Amino acid sequence: MTDTSANLSLNEVEQLCLKAARGAGMSWGLAEEAGFAASWLAERGLDGPGSLLRLLEADQPVDRLVMVLAHWRSAGAGSLCPITVGAALCDFALLPEAAMADAGLRVGPVRQGVLLLPFLSVLAALRGRMVRLEWSGGQVVVEGNGAVSGAATLLAEEAAPVDLTLQLAGTDGPAPTCALPPVKAATLAGLNRLALRTTVPPSTLSRRDAGAEVDDND
Amino acid sequence: MTLPEPASADLSAFRRTPDQVMRLARMGSAHPTRLSFLRVMLARMAAEGWRFDRPLWSLDATGVGRAVYRAIGPVRTYSLVAFAHDLPADQRSDRVIATAWDATFSLFDGVPTKADLDRLQANVPLQEAGRISAQELTLARANRSVRLFDHVVARLAAGLQPDPAEVAAVGYLMRTTAVYGSGKFGAADRARIADRAELTAPFQAEMLTVWLIRQFTVDLVEHLALLRGGAGAVRLNAATRQSLGVGNATGLGMAPFLIRHPVLIHAWMAAREEALARVRAQGAARADAVAGFRAALTEAQDNAALWRTDHPVQSAKLADLRRDLAQIAGWAGGWPEPGQPHPWDALWRRGEKALSLEGQEALLALMLEPHGDLVDDLADHMSANEAAEFRLDGAMTVARLRAILDDHYAWALALDFTQPHTEARFWYVSQEKLEPRIGDRFAEEGAAREQPLCIARLAYSLHRELAHWSADQPVAAFLLAHPEHRQMVRRAQLAPRHPYAEVRDNLLAEAMLPIDLMRCKLALFGASRFDPRSDKWVRISLFQGQPFPEDMPEAPLQ
Repeated sequence: MTDTSANLSLNEVEQLCLKAARGAGMSWGLAEEAGFAASWLAERGLDGPGSLLRLLEADQPVDRLVMVLAHWRSAGAGSLCPITVGAALCDFALLPEAAMADAGLRVGPVRQGVLLLPFLSVLAALRGRMVRLEWSGGQVVVEGNGAVSGAATLLAEEAAPVDLTLQLAGTDGPAPTCALPPVKAATLAGLNRLALRTTVPPSTLSRRDAGAEVDDND
Repeated sequence: MTLPEPASADLSAFRRTPDQVMRLARMGSAHPTRLSFLRVMLARMAAEGWRFDRPLWSLDATGVGRAVYRAIGPVRTYSLVAFAHDLPADQRSDRVIATAWDATFSLFDGVPTKADLDRLQANVPLQEAGRISAQELTLARANRSVRLFDHVVARLAAGLQPDPAEVAAVGYLMRTTAVYGSGKFGAADRARIADRAELTAPFQAEMLTVWLIRQFTVDLVEHLALLRGGAGAVRLNAATRQSLGVGNATGLGMAPFLIRHPVLIHAWMAAREEALARVRAQGAARADAVAGFRAALTEAQDNAALWRTDHPVQSAKLADLRRDLAQIAGWAGGWPEPGQPHPWDALWRRGEKALSLEGQEALLALMLEPHGDLVDDLADHMSANEAAEFRLDGAMTVARLRAILDDHYAWALALDFTQPHTEARFWYVSQEKLEPRIGDRFAEEGAAREQPLCIARLAYSLHRELAHWSADQPVAAFLLAHPEHRQMVRRAQLAPRHPYAEVRDNLLAEAMLPIDLMRCKLALFGASRFDPRSDKWVRISLFQGQPFPEDMPEAPLQ
């Protein structure tokens, strides 16, 4: 299969992912978080748009998030949405629900766990400490300045929902920078298809009503 | 954004409240000021001695080809790349749904090579259907004002200057129909360039694009006149040239921007309001400032005399403006009275009592005009780091959030959304080239895909839902149960530190005029001659009466 990737600006990645998330049924506020997360990952060379598309295209609905002591889990036998969990981690960052005692905070199972990393960076900034994410496949350390180290690529390749543990680690080092990766053609097409669901098909009335009431050849 | 503290007294007595400022009727009466973005750009370029040239002009006898203009600053150079086309009249449309234009443009970051120009030639004429890169800052297009363009070419070719009445009736040779920046269609992201001093103020790359387009439009008519008239052709004289701006035709696309960027809108409005407060707070009126005010008033009266519109609402407002300016001129004779305390404030208060909203907002611009030394530093406070304000505060209590809504959204909570006329309209994005539109909720399809620009209703719904929650609960818990309110909670939390962030009117109301939103934003850009073509579509002029690149003071020789 030929894959003509597109070089999108960060702004385009963020806006497209926001619209796709909304088109897939997220609230506008969570869709904004999805746009933030996908572009944050892209800015660090990770395929955030691809991960988001896999999340949005999943057949099974996500489960509700339940917070019990040191464990955020799904209400049923299903798995959690990383955007919902990530937003909640930021919202609860300074509240007891997100405390990370010695054993850390267990979270899961979470789909597309790599989409949590942007939120962990916010959490790290709010707590003034790095955050270490561990799952059966490895670990990733995220800093408040946006730096990511460890097995982020491996986490992005996890097809199944993952159970993970979050712990506070040391303080930040210097923030790295990297080139913006192209977005794969199939990802772009999938996101565009979902984003189109936020738009309204044209009608004669709507077309006429949006313009001037005069010709432009004056 | 934090504004610098003035050295002198407390300004709070002289500051207008958001409830006064952020109303549609007043925003729809906004006038350009010396803090408008194009004025900020011209002032910086003059102060820094920017130089300008045209290293490429390759247009054929039909006016088709390409050109490059350079703006050479103390640190960086930017180049406008222009493509001129031969557009059949039946394809000339100012709408975003158009697919061809008289001319297309991109602002290049640096100096383009031939390979860059070839790459741009393959993409820029396609506009939204093409791709540009992080080497480009803007993508734009323009259409001719057919009547004036043809008239000017014919007259110059015949060795004559254009008819002043024809020039005055239109005011520009071309009008832009879109100027895209900020990462659109592959262009450089705002974050990538926002720390450059010359691009920190809002829309500076877009303003530079339009200003250089203005030069291109003049060069193009002179080129065509020379080819047609040969040795007998003449160039535009300086006065006529200066009276030409660049037109702009814009539809609803501009309106949602004001709602989607609350932190930025606050920065713009707060800077302008701070400027007004500083002028009003002065204990006395300096003679030079009084003279500058009078000169600006005369200029405003001349401008109002030349301003043309056929739109019934704007015609009435224009009549108000002319009457109000005459009234201000009448007052100015006996003002300031000897020993009068706070004379600028006295003038302002008199205006608030006697003038229409058009007149009051024009007076604001006139009062700022002679006070560059007092207010120009505020131009450095009109940008905003929106990403830094994105994260909401989950630890805030429900009680505090309710208090914020009561304080800053009383205008919305007072509406009755059980009445159909309160939410008669809905904002949406059409599948046709993603054009933003507004529809009748009860007569048109598509309300299920409404855009979240219905801030009044969102605030109203949030307030009602919060009533079921106990006061000491954290917002984080509320949002976990109610993700549908997340966007409104984010906005509401901005309000205490960004009081001018929100348009304090119902954007769904039957009687709402979208052109009011557009007028406000265009005035902040520096647009004049606001001429609505419907309640959702306007034409304006940019840079009319302002200098051309060759009129700028030269850089000192190094």
